[in-house]
Amino acid sequence: MNPVRVAIAVARKDLKSEWRTRELVPALAQFVVLALLIGNFGFQVDTHNASAIAPGILWLALVFAGLVAFGRTFAAEREQASLEAMLMTPASPVAIFAGKAMAATVLLVLCEVVLLPALTLFFGTPLSGDVVAAVLLATVGMAALGVLFAAIVARVRARELLLPLLTLPLWIPFIVAGGQAVQSAMGLPGSYQEAMGLLLDFDILFVVLTSLAARFVLDE
Amino acid sequence: MSRHERWAAGAVALMLVAGAAIFLYAPTDYLQGPVQRIFYLHVSSAIAAYGCFTVVLIGGLVYLRRESLVADRFARAGAVVGVVFTTVTLVMGMLWAKPIWGTYWTWDARLTSTLVLWMIYAGYLLVRRLADPGRQAARIAAVVGIFGFVDVPVVHFSVTWWRTQHPGPVVVNDALPPEMLATFLLTMACTLALAAVLIAIRYRIETLSDERMHMAEEVKVITAPEPRMAP
Amino acid sequence: MSFVVANGLTHWFGRELVLEGVDLVVDTGEHMAVLGDNGAGKTTLLRVLATALRPTAGRLQIAGLDAFREKRRLRHHVGYLAHAPGLYPALSAVENLEFFCDLQEVSRTRVEEALDIVAMTSVARRRADQLSRGMQQRLAIARAILHEPRLLVLDEPDASLGEDAAELLTRVMQGKTVIMATHDRALANRLCQRTLELRHGRSHGTATRLHVVT
Repeated sequence: MNPVRVAIAVARKDLKSEWRTRELVPALAQFVVLALLIGNFGFQVDTHNASAIAPGILWLALVFAGLVAFGRTFAAEREQASLEAMLMTPASPVAIFAGKAMAATVLLVLCEVVLLPALTLFFGTPLSGDVVAAVLLATVGMAALGVLFAAIVARVRARELLLPLLTLPLWIPFIVAGGQAVQSAMGLPGSYQEAMGLLLDFDILFVVLTSLAARFVLDE
Repeated sequence: MSRHERWAAGAVALMLVAGAAIFLYAPTDYLQGPVQRIFYLHVSSAIAAYGCFTVVLIGGLVYLRRESLVADRFARAGAVVGVVFTTVTLVMGMLWAKPIWGTYWTWDARLTSTLVLWMIYAGYLLVRRLADPGRQAARIAAVVGIFGFVDVPVVHFSVTWWRTQHPGPVVVNDALPPEMLATFLLTMACTLALAAVLIAIRYRIETLSDERMHMAEEVKVITAPEPRMAP
Repeated sequence: MSFVVANGLTHWFGRELVLEGVDLVVDTGEHMAVLGDNGAGKTTLLRVLATALRPTAGRLQIAGLDAFREKRRLRHHVGYLAHAPGLYPALSAVENLEFFCDLQEVSRTRVEEALDIVAMTSVARRRADQLSRGMQQRLAIARAILHEPRLLVLDEPDASLGEDAAELLTRVMQGKTVIMATHDRALANRLCQRTLELRHGRSHGTATRLHVVT
């Protein structure tokens, strides 16, 4: 079967399950809002420093929400032993992986739909197209890596513990470039164009690498 | 004395020679004073660490291609030894930085990427410990090792792009006086020999533990007498 | 003609020997039951025979193909019912099967046929997590036969099926080569021509030996 159709079928299945149960997105949305709250008290935010602190809090909230979202994508399949059933079909493991990554990306984007306006509300930072574009661009590469490592830790014990340990170091380039892009989009110094270019490069690099590696991770 | 014990004794002797060169032969740096002597082992162990992680990378790639148990054992050995050398590099770097920069730590590109390197391969070792030994563990560890290797230059590059204040590579632009250069090259050679011996010993340990896990010789590619078309 | 030929299947989980040199031959259309106590290695053997797990050593041919090398090509011909049903709880029975139709590259018209065989058309629209344990098992069986495989590997298919288990399984297994694990000797004798018994070896505790009880 056409791998694109397999990927879409897998993504649709995951999103439909999430839509029916509404397990993950509401919890994550609440989590990111709480993260903003903690950030506010942790940093003594006032009108002068809000724009300097907001981008950092944005990325912190996003990174930890992402870890939870991506961790769930394979944990749920493992709990239900359904991953093996999928892998027992002729569908290519890379297509299955791509489908799971697509669904996880959509879930994280849904979190961002809550996170970005909430940031504007609590910190008074501008919610511009540039900010949204930077966050979305970073989400793509982070999702590819996050879902790959979620598949990896699904194979080992203590997976909740291991996922952040393995994923966070690999996300650093996205946080550096994404952080820079958001900062300059919010009016702090730095080149927005250059940061976006870097994000795009990282996206391409890691999407290609993860699709090459997916086969080895998912195969028995 | 077994073969490995002889190698270990040799490596210790070499490191003592390097130590003698560092403290007795090399001149004292007139700007930094005796602290500068950290440089020889600091840079040497960084290079040894990169060498070890290259072993992990190549071992992982070969494993994914051929499922060779030998390659996987080299990768495991390289990761352990590499983490040790990265730790040495980081600790010595911090000891040097305190008197010279006035702080143990600063977020420049090389420091950050070395720390990330340490984190990734410490994670690699955790994966090896937490996954049930077997083909799957070897495969996912290979993937972690390969991603780690790719990530480090990317982190380095992105932080450089961000900002940097680490002293430039002093060796390449021959700013070192000849005695210092000779000491450095000697220390580097001895450290690399030490790393090789440690990998060899670790390889032996991994072989023995594989044998206890009954993975040793039985893992062969399974072949059918003659493939036929499905009727 | 023999459809499944296994030689010396051996599998280690870490330091534990779960399968020790299992040989077996199953002819085309033959039904074979695998009996044995808990922990005798039944599930592992079945996972190997279904090509879900590659053993530490041994060889396996299915339909004349090397089962480990040509695994992907064989997927069209092998149906596997695992120990756990592995359903998507939030999807209905029909949706669960439709998803697997897409992955199996078969027409969605098979959903109704498969549901009919396992006699659960009446609850087809219900969510999987609202089905009884027995119905979930039926759904899992329906998924295993969705693509009309020639070889069926069933791990305790009778688990929580109830009264009509034998009747249902007869329908499911009809015309197929079947290897099934079960605890129920009577059921095995009724459904299968041959049984194979897996047992712990005395010396190692988990080693297994093979006895063919005809």
